[in-house]
Amino acid sequence: MNKLIILIFLLINFTDDDTKSDQFITRQGQVSFFSYTSVEDIEAKNNQVLSIIDISKNEIAVSMLMNAFVFKKSLMHEHFNESYIESDLYPKATFEGNIIDFDPSETDTQTRMVKGKLTIHGITKEVEIKTTIEQVNGSFVLNGDFEVTVKDFDIKIPPILAPNIAKVISIKFKFEYQHYEK
Amino acid sequence: MRNKVLFFTNICLLFCLNVSIQAQDLLDKLEQEYPDTPQYQLATFKASRISIGHSVETRKKGVLELQAFTRYWNIPNSSGQSFVADKMGARIGVEYGISDKLTFGGGWSTLDGIFDSFLKYKLIRQRNDGKGAPVSLSLFQNIAYRSERNPPLIDINRFDNFQDQLSFTTQLLLARKFTPQFSAQISPTYIHRNSSAFTDDPNNQFAIGVGGRYKIGGHVSIVSEYYYLINPLESITTYDAFALGVNWELSDVMLQFKLTNTWFFSEEAFITQTPNNFNFNDGNLTFGFNAIFVLHLNQKDKINTD
Repeated sequence: MNKLIILIFLLINFTDDDTKSDQFITRQGQVSFFSYTSVEDIEAKNNQVLSIIDISKNEIAVSMLMNAFVFKKSLMHEHFNESYIESDLYPKATFEGNIIDFDPSETDTQTRMVKGKLTIHGITKEVEIKTTIEQVNGSFVLNGDFEVTVKDFDIKIPPILAPNIAKVISIKFKFEYQHYEK
Repeated sequence: MRNKVLFFTNICLLFCLNVSIQAQDLLDKLEQEYPDTPQYQLATFKASRISIGHSVETRKKGVLELQAFTRYWNIPNSSGQSFVADKMGARIGVEYGISDKLTFGGGWSTLDGIFDSFLKYKLIRQRNDGKGAPVSLSLFQNIAYRSERNPPLIDINRFDNFQDQLSFTTQLLLARKFTPQFSAQISPTYIHRNSSAFTDDPNNQFAIGVGGRYKIGGHVSIVSEYYYLINPLESITTYDAFALGVNWELSDVMLQFKLTNTWFFSEEAFITQTPNNFNFNDGNLTFGFNAIFVLHLNQKDKINTD
């Protein structure tokens, strides 16, 4: 009887693995952002962004820790986390969406729209992001950039510092996926 | 029969488990993919001082702080014609982050001519992922040289030779960030003065400092500090140092405003030798203003190093 249970368990696990082969993950995704003003240029980069795509459903998810962003100045890192993004309260930024008209069998670089929900600072907004999708050795590389408005995410900037921080922040991303294996 | 029931419940459980694995969406899957790297609490306090005393914070590597601390107060029953305040004291100082954990600093105060320098080492960092240390701990050691006699006040130490004018302060700075807004610190302090002008006075003194901050906005916090002196001087009457203030942070500048009763800046001076109590009488109420400017030197380009 016990052997039967183990057999069924293995069977279930096996079928489980089968569905997972459609999924690709990256644990070292790169996201950087830029704020250019006449007073001050601010840029930061996060090299530990997690992202997963499911090519059977054309779904994508991205998750990152806000305090993993590195800045040129250590004080900027502190201000970003403490005073603006409040990473004590909202430690992560996430994205969840669908890649529209994504064709996994296409070997050439394709440009597609990703539509979904972007959550930063606890606030969720519907966004559409243009991305290029490259197929490299049976896996995928996603590349793109987009812009977000600081105001949309309820990030408070004191009036005296308003000239230092751009109203619209440009964001770049690059995800090199690998087959997802548990 | 019983075995069969067990078997079927097992099967059911397995199927449930399997369904739940498949039903979970991609974001939940990513949640489990986060590496188990320790997450440390950032900025228990914003500056290296809570208000008058040191906070648990050290400067990051390559950060140079330029500091100008000032205090203003009136002389009781003064008929003078001074602008705004009768007296003022100032300390000009620097602090430099040798590493992320070790900070060196020094300065000079006008009123008592104290040259002070210190090392502060961050030993334990509070983690905010529920594991590890619930508090941050820094060790502080300072050495202060009193270069001038202080005419309005009685000299506590002898001025015969160089060693007589030295004093040493050791502090354990123990702090916890309870909420994103509220942090508190307790700082057991040991002060050794190399010489005493009066035989009654203890050369070794102990104090306990308590301090806290409450953030009322992204950039503004209210702070308070109090140093309880366990064995005060016998030769003169001294009072415990107290401060109530507002810290305001703007980009590279930190401004600290406070109402306090102490005129001094160096630890041994303000903890053990404050001659007046905290109230609103002339000569007692002291307005303090610290301006701290942060320069980033020698920080390697962390963005483009990979």
